[in-house]
Amino acid sequence: MGNITVTINGTEISVPDPMTILEAATQNNIDIPTLCHQPDLTPNGVCRICVVEVEGARTLVAACHTPLTDGMVIHTRSPKVLSVRKTIVELLLTAHTGTCVNDVNAANCALHKLASDLEVGEPRFHVQKPRFYAPEESNPYVTRDLSKCILCFKCVKACDEIAGKGVLSVGYRGFESKIITGCDDALTHDICKDCIVCADACPTGALSRPDLLDKKQKGAV
Amino acid sequence: MPEKQIVSMNCGKIDPDNIDTHIDQGGFKALQKSLEKMTPEDIINEIKTSELKGRGGAGFLCGTKWELARKAGENQKYLICNADESEVGTFKDRHLLAKDPFTLIEGIAITAYAIGAQTAFIYLRAEYHFLLDLLTNAIEQAKEKGFLKHLAVQIREGAGAYICGEESALMNSIEGRRGESRYKPPFPTEKGLFDKPTIINNVETLMNVPQIILNGGEWFKTIGTGNSRGTKVFSISGDVEKPGVYELEMGSPVKELVVTLAGAKNIKAVQVGGASGSIIPFDQLDTPLSFETLLGSGGVIVFNNERDITDMVHQSMIFLSEESCGKCTPCREGTEVMIEIFRRLEIGEGVPEDMENLEALSEAMMLSSLCGLGQAAPIPVLDSLKYFRSEYEDRIEKSQILRRLPRSIA
Ligand SMILES: Cc1cc2nc3c(=O)[nH]c(=O)nc-3n(C[C@H](O)[C@H](O)[C@H](O)COP(=O)(O)O)c2cc1C
Repeated sequence: MGNITVTINGTEISVPDPMTILEAATQNNIDIPTLCHQPDLTPNGVCRICVVEVEGARTLVAACHTPLTDGMVIHTRSPKVLSVRKTIVELLLTAHTGTCVNDVNAANCALHKLASDLEVGEPRFHVQKPRFYAPEESNPYVTRDLSKCILCFKCVKACDEIAGKGVLSVGYRGFESKIITGCDDALTHDICKDCIVCADACPTGALSRPDLLDKKQKGAV
Repeated sequence: MPEKQIVSMNCGKIDPDNIDTHIDQGGFKALQKSLEKMTPEDIINEIKTSELKGRGGAGFLCGTKWELARKAGENQKYLICNADESEVGTFKDRHLLAKDPFTLIEGIAITAYAIGAQTAFIYLRAEYHFLLDLLTNAIEQAKEKGFLKHLAVQIREGAGAYICGEESALMNSIEGRRGESRYKPPFPTEKGLFDKPTIINNVETLMNVPQIILNGGEWFKTIGTGNSRGTKVFSISGDVEKPGVYELEMGSPVKELVVTLAGAKNIKAVQVGGASGSIIPFDQLDTPLSFETLLGSGGVIVFNNERDITDMVHQSMIFLSEESCGKCTPCREGTEVMIEIFRRLEIGEGVPEDMENLEALSEAMMLSSLCGLGQAAPIPVLDSLKYFRSEYEDRIEKSQILRRLPRSIA
């Protein structure tokens, strides 16, 4: 325990130990974007948007799960960090196409917002088959449109750690990875009921509350 | 430097089904010495003196790692022998396991004693199921002889995933979870298998231990180079006359392995370290094989003049993309985007920006991926762009010509 001293973007700060880079940055009003982190969940470390440069480290490190050590010198907006971060956003946009841009939920899409914050334009990259899944609207409590999913795993964590249900998990591997229920079964209301913590955690509207969708659509017309 | 056998010295000399043949060759003397005459600290010091580094790819100093686990304040600790060997073109552990399981068991028994583990797991790749009986039998025989009184050795079989050779994914797999990498820290020496301090070492690494204990760390240090002590076991395949497993002193030139021993001709390139290994061109075959230069897991694949480098990198990338666990963005999406670029280059749909984009992707993947898979995946891409850039340029130029042709001809 006790305090340690670290330097973020040239400013020396004293913080309690243990603490992650992201926690210290947030506390000191330094913005580090992330798509897979939520303070009330244990770190996922999967989106890699929050990577920062730590002097002496071989690679960039993810701020959300890297603990501070005494004397650490961190750069959150170096050219290297910004270039890598933009490339990761582009990679997420590459396979995350679909109807999103025209959708009412696009305003709620953290990925699109981040892309505009970082001035990421049309992605340079292509994949042969962007992710496409038919939207599922049969569950009265949660609407699932996995084409919008960016595999941040937040819903899995939220279902586990907040709801304590463990209904969601990750299936398949590599590019085919997919957030599933059971053995990739339909999201019926026998499986998933009304707690909705997953939709609240979802940054892109891949999981959403039907009522929200309704209201928005009505408002939009 | 000539071939030199330390790790594989008993291979072919003993009967892997019969522990007595191994004992006749001096087997288990190192274990006896360790248990009777040495404290765990003595063993760790000897290994530190030897400067033995891990043979599974990362090359971390064993003594340092073991000391961390030894000092971790927990009663329950684990040792894991990584026998997942799924790297492309790598089959040296398979050779060692099949020919001499006893030296491995001896190495495991010594290491477990040194770090204070009461349980050791051998994580055997699913495709090596045919070795399960042989290994189980070897463990049983060692137990009957009273060599494993301090230790329970168990075998866990993988389920066919390359990523489960990565140490944190491997631990997930043993725990019954999805085979995906964990972020570090915490490191396994602190919070590993079932959250307990854990040491994970490669088969070959552990098989070095008995000889170091018998002959001393100073002896081991006289072999190899300044930063790479001892020998390395290589598996060589591809365009060679004599594919197989060879053990060489660290620092031996690539040429010795590839040309002198394996009989390769008309070499265009050699890939050292599997699918994500470095590529060296034909005019750099004097490069020594060592941690300072290039080594990886010891899988060496030779490509002759008839091979196309972009095709070869494409194939590597298809493998890596299939084997990516899918957890982190750069690896999951980056490998998929890369195979799309290579696919287009192959069918004559390349564009001038392809090379630039491969470089940008490589940078992002190397710097931001969660584990070694995504961090190393771009190595062959960057190496091929460096040494065989003209092959990319040719493909792109051909694509442009194709695009200009009237549709009916193209
Ligand atoms: C994708 C990936 C696959 C790996 N596969 C293996 C493997 O099959 N066998 C192995 O010993 N190490 C493998 N490793 C390295 C392990 O993570 C770890 O560093 C090693 O087992 C440590 O043992 P050592 O210090 O004795 O080398 C792999 C690493 C990565 C990133």
